[in-house]
Amino acid sequence: MLAVRDLRVSYGGIEVVHGVSLDVAAGECVALIGANGAGKSSTLKAICGLVPASGGSIGFEERDITRASGHAIVRAGITMCPEGRQVFPQMSVIQNLRMGAYTRNDSEQEADLSRMMDMFPILRERQSQAAGKLSGGEQEMLAIARALMARPRICLFDEPSLGLAPKIVASVFETLAHIKAMGMTILLVEQNSMMALNLADRAYLFEAGRIVMEGAAKDLKNHPDVMRAYLGH
Amino acid sequence: MLIEILQQTINGLAIGGVYVLIALGLTTVFGILGIAHFAHGSVSMSGGYLTYFLVTAQGLPLLAAIPAALAAGFLLGVLVEMLAYRPVRHANHINAFIVALGLTMMVEGINLQLFGHEQVVIPTGLNRVFRLGGITVPELRLYVIIAAILLVVAMMIFVERTKTGQAIRAVAENRDAAILMGVNVKTIPLIVFGMSTALGVAAGIMVGALFAIAPGIGEGLVVKGFAVLILGGLGSFPGAILGGTVLGITESIAAGFISSGYKDVIAFVVMIIVLLIRPQGLLGRAP
Repeated sequence: MLAVRDLRVSYGGIEVVHGVSLDVAAGECVALIGANGAGKSSTLKAICGLVPASGGSIGFEERDITRASGHAIVRAGITMCPEGRQVFPQMSVIQNLRMGAYTRNDSEQEADLSRMMDMFPILRERQSQAAGKLSGGEQEMLAIARALMARPRICLFDEPSLGLAPKIVASVFETLAHIKAMGMTILLVEQNSMMALNLADRAYLFEAGRIVMEGAAKDLKNHPDVMRAYLGH
Repeated sequence: MLIEILQQTINGLAIGGVYVLIALGLTTVFGILGIAHFAHGSVSMSGGYLTYFLVTAQGLPLLAAIPAALAAGFLLGVLVEMLAYRPVRHANHINAFIVALGLTMMVEGINLQLFGHEQVVIPTGLNRVFRLGGITVPELRLYVIIAAILLVVAMMIFVERTKTGQAIRAVAENRDAAILMGVNVKTIPLIVFGMSTALGVAAGIMVGALFAIAPGIGEGLVVKGFAVLILGGLGSFPGAILGGTVLGITESIAAGFISSGYKDVIAFVVMIIVLLIRPQGLLGRAP
């Protein structure tokens, strides 16, 4: 479904992603793990067009989207739930959710809206509050629900657990597991490697802008190098 | 005394409406692009001049000339964004600032060449005066106030209730997140500039009908517009509306009770006092 080939990303002439290739098949949940600054988030940002690729190609369902602009990529079916939530702080919860459906013209948006609020009851409770007034965990739920409102074909999650209390992190991952069970294709970037490997089908390990290991999540979880470096064993 | 205050308040509402329309355009442009669009006043006055031209030289009825001028204003705004500001979007902020100043001089120069240095008054034929108790309300002022209210309400409905309006807000609040929602961040500034300039042109027509359009008026108006933004709270829509109304009424009362020569001085003194007490502006959020 998603095929990234030899992707390179540079910021101001300094290359941070040095030729990354990865695949995500329909219905799969794939995790990108590795240390801070390893190039995981930059890879995601290049896929959804927030930063330009300086080399390589990104294919999505037989289409080349390497040079496509951000809004065209969303219309193609790729949505990202960004790092740090990035809700629209002065807009209400419900306005944030409606923005999620910005590219849609179908008549099922209101039904999806109430489905999201069934899935996240706190959002129904707070629907007319400004999103900026929600707690970090609630904002994460809003960002996830907003991403799903686009009815994406693949959903990218960038560090969904970042800056959240351990209890909230657990509930975020429960939510992700639920979304996965619904059949959503997921590409997840996460520093909490243990949680990510428990959720994912497959994973890629990033180090200094390169993929150094890839395989089934359960194999990576039991690999001695991964255990030592990232799982704290 | 009370009658006199009410009278000046009514007068102030008309000029306040002009300030609100100018300020709404400035605040929307600033919110989306972070640009202090100093040429806004001069561009708006071009619309006023155009209306004058259509009515006097072309013999168009006022009600036909106004929509034509508003539409021309929208197009002019689109052109300003594409030709003047888009090329410097990724450059240092000072570049956009210089472009804004240069554009002001250019537009002022073009206005001068096309319409001359004599002041012009848009003939409206609206000369009736309504009397209500001891208050006299000239017909024209009343229509200006109503038109300003209608335009402000229309703008609020557009921003709050339409998809494009919400996209404009989203871009102002978080540009990257707006891209992730599928908003085309290249077309939004065009719409914003078009809309803001059309509102500005409406203000220019009001100035031309109530007072007169002359070289330099637009520049004065844009300074007032920015003052309104600061007074109301930068980036706040309700703040721009309240700020413009307050400035208009303050000026009018100052002119009526003290001296019209000092009205700007008094209005700005009041503004400074407000900002000393509330540095974030009347409706701005505390930092």
